[in-house]
Amino acid sequence: MVNPAPAPKLMEAVIYPDPARSLLVRAPLRSAAIFLAIVVVYAVSLTIVDFDLARLWRGLPRLAHYAASAWPPDLRELDILLYRALETMAIAVIGTTIGAVIALPCCILGAKNVTPGLWIYRPVRAFLNIVRAIDSFVFALLFVIAVGVGPFAGVLGMGLHSAGTLAKLWSEVIETVEPGPLEAVSLTGANRLKVISYALFPDVLPNFTSIALYVWEFNVRASTALGIVGAGGIGQELKNSVDQLLFDRTFTILIIIVIMVMALDQLSSWLRRRLL
Amino acid sequence: MTRPTGIRGAGIRVVGLTKRIGDRKVLDGVSFEVNPGEIVAVLGASGAGKTTLFRCLTRLAQCDDGEIFFDGENYANTKEVGLVFQQFNLIRRLSALDNVLAGRLAYVPTWRVMLRRFPYADRQIALASLDRVGLLPYALQRADRLSGGQQQRVAIARALAQHTRFVLADEPVASLDPESAKGVLSILREVARERAIAVLVSLHQVDFALQFADRVIGLRHGRMITDLAAAQFAETHRQMIYAT
Repeated sequence: MVNPAPAPKLMEAVIYPDPARSLLVRAPLRSAAIFLAIVVVYAVSLTIVDFDLARLWRGLPRLAHYAASAWPPDLRELDILLYRALETMAIAVIGTTIGAVIALPCCILGAKNVTPGLWIYRPVRAFLNIVRAIDSFVFALLFVIAVGVGPFAGVLGMGLHSAGTLAKLWSEVIETVEPGPLEAVSLTGANRLKVISYALFPDVLPNFTSIALYVWEFNVRASTALGIVGAGGIGQELKNSVDQLLFDRTFTILIIIVIMVMALDQLSSWLRRRLL
Repeated sequence: MTRPTGIRGAGIRVVGLTKRIGDRKVLDGVSFEVNPGEIVAVLGASGAGKTTLFRCLTRLAQCDDGEIFFDGENYANTKEVGLVFQQFNLIRRLSALDNVLAGRLAYVPTWRVMLRRFPYADRQIALASLDRVGLLPYALQRADRLSGGQQQRVAIARALAQHTRFVLADEPVASLDPESAKGVLSILREVARERAIAVLVSLHQVDFALQFADRVIGLRHGRMITDLAAAQFAETHRQMIYAT
């Protein structure tokens, strides 16, 4: 008869030294600490935001009452509201364009593979991070001081913020470009400007356009909020209506915003599909 | 831009080229000449120093010692050195013609390049170059829609449009099927003859080297161990180059 195999438990003990066991057995203390940390984060956050479901429950009838008064939607000033919606889209078009004009040189100077050097790369990156950290409507708030209430302030604010977003996304596209063709063209003796405009640009153009459309789409949504700080567009009408408790008019505005944003989403994704 | 062959000091001349990476010499005193109108093939196993040699010649890498002359000059206008790469390195979304026009960039003012308004004469040069490699019918085809062999011929046309007098081709047929490879190499040989261009080409197929090159240089561990006419290349040389 053959000798029986040694008991599996014994074998494990021989093959696996002690440290390997820590991979099999969870440290209960560590799990408990992580769990506790998560509980604390939520408890503190909920207290800070004054989270109170009971209050929402008590307030619901009031909301329902207002919602009921929103029907039928007030269409009397539809022409003015539609004009405001047009203004919102125009702010997005011009704001995104201003952003693109600023972003174009920045994305080249701020892309590691084509930048002339760190002396310009670093300050450009810093500038872009700053304008990206500050939202369009914060800039708009500042520009209102300079150029007064109205869409122009919104356009300027949006332009500055979009420049940061566009330049960051564009420079990422540039950094992933195949280096071979650029190297080949620059070794024909072409200077940097020629290489960038002739070899780099056609390669990245579809991606650039697609990103610009995306930012534009995003800016249409953002510019509804711009109106709230007095920078024109349909947001301004929205704020006025809510302030005056005109809920039927508010409802009309919301319908316009939803239709406008959905239509633009469709248009922009159709355009992007055609590009790529 | 044809030049008579046999001018003293013309062509590519490399003297004692040495390149170290750490303590190791990846190139060790490599010297050779490529005359105008001549194709010289560089053979060697992987890691023998072929790619380093080309990187030093194109100045993508700095050599530690030795000298490189183009037409007797220690320095060459890059626009006179045409390069052909294993991966073709065409601008994918541009047409074949636009890629060949890239060879004219150094001759055209920057504003014209930015507006894509090439002078008539330059467009003519590009078309003639494309015609020379037999791809005139594909002039408006996007580069990434061409076959590998066609793309490499566009790359040769780009070098021709540069009015190059030297062509450096690092593994130009390594990613091509044998038939396309032969097409590319025979075009390279024809244009070398016609325009008195000095061509240095690295290959890993000995048979191609013997069929298309005038001379064969063998590299092994960074040292040049053979430099002879293709006709004199024998089995023993092959074994010397590729011995492990």
